[in-house]
Amino acid sequence: MPASVSRHSQGLWVIIASFIVAALLLVMPLPESLDYYRPEWIALFLIYWVMALPHRVGLLSAWIIGLFVDVLEDSLLGLNALVLALVAYLALSLYRRLRMFTMLQQASTVFILIGLHQLVSFWILTVSEQNTSPNLMFLVSAFSSALIWPLVFYGLRYLRRSLHVV
Amino acid sequence: MTINKSLFIQSSTQGYRLLALVLVSLILMFADNRFGYLQQARYYASYAVTPIHWLSEFPQSLSAQISDVFRSRDELLRENEALRETLLMQQYQLQKIDHLSAENQRLSELLNASAIVEDIVVRAQLVSEAPDPFRKQVLINKGTAHGVYEGQPVLDADGLFGQVISVEPYYSWVQLITDSQHSTPIQVNRNGIRAVVTGTQGSQHVMMMMNMTDTADIVVGDILVTSGLGQRFPAGYRVGVISSIVHDPGQPFVTVTVEPTAQLDSSRNLLLVF
Repeated sequence: MPASVSRHSQGLWVIIASFIVAALLLVMPLPESLDYYRPEWIALFLIYWVMALPHRVGLLSAWIIGLFVDVLEDSLLGLNALVLALVAYLALSLYRRLRMFTMLQQASTVFILIGLHQLVSFWILTVSEQNTSPNLMFLVSAFSSALIWPLVFYGLRYLRRSLHVV
Repeated sequence: MTINKSLFIQSSTQGYRLLALVLVSLILMFADNRFGYLQQARYYASYAVTPIHWLSEFPQSLSAQISDVFRSRDELLRENEALRETLLMQQYQLQKIDHLSAENQRLSELLNASAIVEDIVVRAQLVSEAPDPFRKQVLINKGTAHGVYEGQPVLDADGLFGQVISVEPYYSWVQLITDSQHSTPIQVNRNGIRAVVTGTQGSQHVMMMMNMTDTADIVVGDILVTSGLGQRFPAGYRVGVISSIVHDPGQPFVTVTVEPTAQLDSSRNLLLVF
């Protein structure tokens, strides 16, 4: 593999493009009954990239992506930035273990990470008197995120390997 | 191997970085929520998300165009005929309305009331809904470039739909009248009783009529229209129909449920009132 100079910035566009796809999946219209089950695409993609390339995608990139999401879905400015930075932090401290895990273990870790993501944003929304869920349905998307994780993982890994993103 | 420092991420500094970012986010949220300092920043930042909105709208507009191209002649003729018929019926009804509104104008002039202003409406298309299922908010394809402003009333063909709560250059967010953060000043069409209807939490599109006493003259089926108080919505637009009234002796007020007349979960074509 040709090494050194261009190595650091190689394939940045793949990472950015993947997050644009995640943003599209986020705003993609769904039937109302399926709205609760929408996986947290941005957080899933973030977990993958942090796990695969922890030296490139870290806290700051997570925070900036979060601000972008806040503007995109017109939520409280800084809300997604905070929770995504938190997810990135946890993923950064777990990435060596995550790489060794079986798919089932990975998916359950993802379940916990996304659940925390949901819980923290729920707390913040409640404190700031925004609209919140009257029940625990907001945790359902953690489950669907864990279910879709294998697809995200293998899909992004295939993309990363075939486009030599390092 | 050329990887040197990046084999493992030093985790000792990460905690401090997280703390710093969390603090900055908290400050941002506080400023955004309490003072609205960031309106301008959000407006300029929304240029960055405009392509995403455009891309997400693209399949919808493309499929609409394709189905227009492949429409059969018979189908078009039939639709044309049906449309002509409804147009005729509505023109017939409009004749009466012309007469009534002229009479109304004369009467209010007699009473020295202010003139009834004709509203200008502009058509807008619904692009997408808020991804968060707990917020009843939709995105429409008109923004400041088309003169949309914050607080602007939005209608559909059947009644009041919501109001613009945040504007972007080419898109804007509309909060539905059934959102739990939204209240609409209304009037009972039958007898002029004024009240406020408030949206509810959960994904159902229903509203509650607040603070109605047990003796208030309201019945199931009463039509509620905007009262014009609060100076947000022009008077006289349909808001909803009372669908149930529950008298509970243990409660100080009656529980009145209101069904919105606007097709909040299916309307694509909306009207912006200027």
